[in-house]
Amino acid sequence: MKIFASSHEFDYSWEEVSTCNWRKYCPWNDKSTHVIAVDTLSRTLSPSTGILRTERLITCKQSTPQWLRTFLGGQDTSLVYEVSYVDAAAKKVTMCSQNMTWSDLLSVQETVVYRPVRGVPGKTVFEQNAKIIALCGGWQKIKNGIEEFTVERFRQNAAKGREGFERVLAISREVFAEERKKKGLQAM
Amino acid sequence: MSASLAPECNEVKERYDTCFLKWYSEKYLRGTAKTDECEPLFREYKACIGKALKERGIDTMLEEARADNAENDKEYLKPSKGS
Repeated sequence: MKIFASSHEFDYSWEEVSTCNWRKYCPWNDKSTHVIAVDTLSRTLSPSTGILRTERLITCKQSTPQWLRTFLGGQDTSLVYEVSYVDAAAKKVTMCSQNMTWSDLLSVQETVVYRPVRGVPGKTVFEQNAKIIALCGGWQKIKNGIEEFTVERFRQNAAKGREGFERVLAISREVFAEERKKKGLQAM
Repeated sequence: MSASLAPECNEVKERYDTCFLKWYSEKYLRGTAKTDECEPLFREYKACIGKALKERGIDTMLEEARADNAENDKEYLKPSKGS
């Protein structure tokens, strides 16, 4: 088993971050190009708790090296299942993701949390934790190899994801300010 | 907005995503949302993507993933402790 953990502070309010999070993989993100589609499968708002639960399916371009593909089989896309929980009252987003492709050989479970930095307005902390386990029986060496490769790829994608998300946040803020200006002009 | 895995669903997905984002930022985050107003659009999009998932055999894979996620539902759907 391998564990990957990282955290980061965004210089944006929780409201901005949690809104932009829905479009993290839009074309403004020019770093996470391995994500080719994001589909919403279900969405429910609990009237009693106010928690918004969303199920999404994320389609990624496969870029596994040949040696690993011979073990796992050769598909050109991989699928990730994600369930997120937004608690607007508590100002917390929790996202739980798992791999659907090769799930009998490899388990990748990730939890991401976004919440405001306590006592610092306009800042949001991102915490990411992932557990990577190769499930295939047999050679420990191969299992280790698969886990090491996966955690390394995970680290690369996490860095790219953060960079791409910063860009989405910046562009969103610009577009929003421009729209507000336009609306203001129209109102005059 | 990001694309759908099924190109034939892109158009309805785009309309739904736009509706949702507006509802999320203007109503849900401000605590004024009682219901999800984009539900009718979502039903249209869901009909399209549901068909595509079935054709690709992804629907059965999803059942398994949903079962695996049951624990998370239990933990994260609990009401917050007034933080």
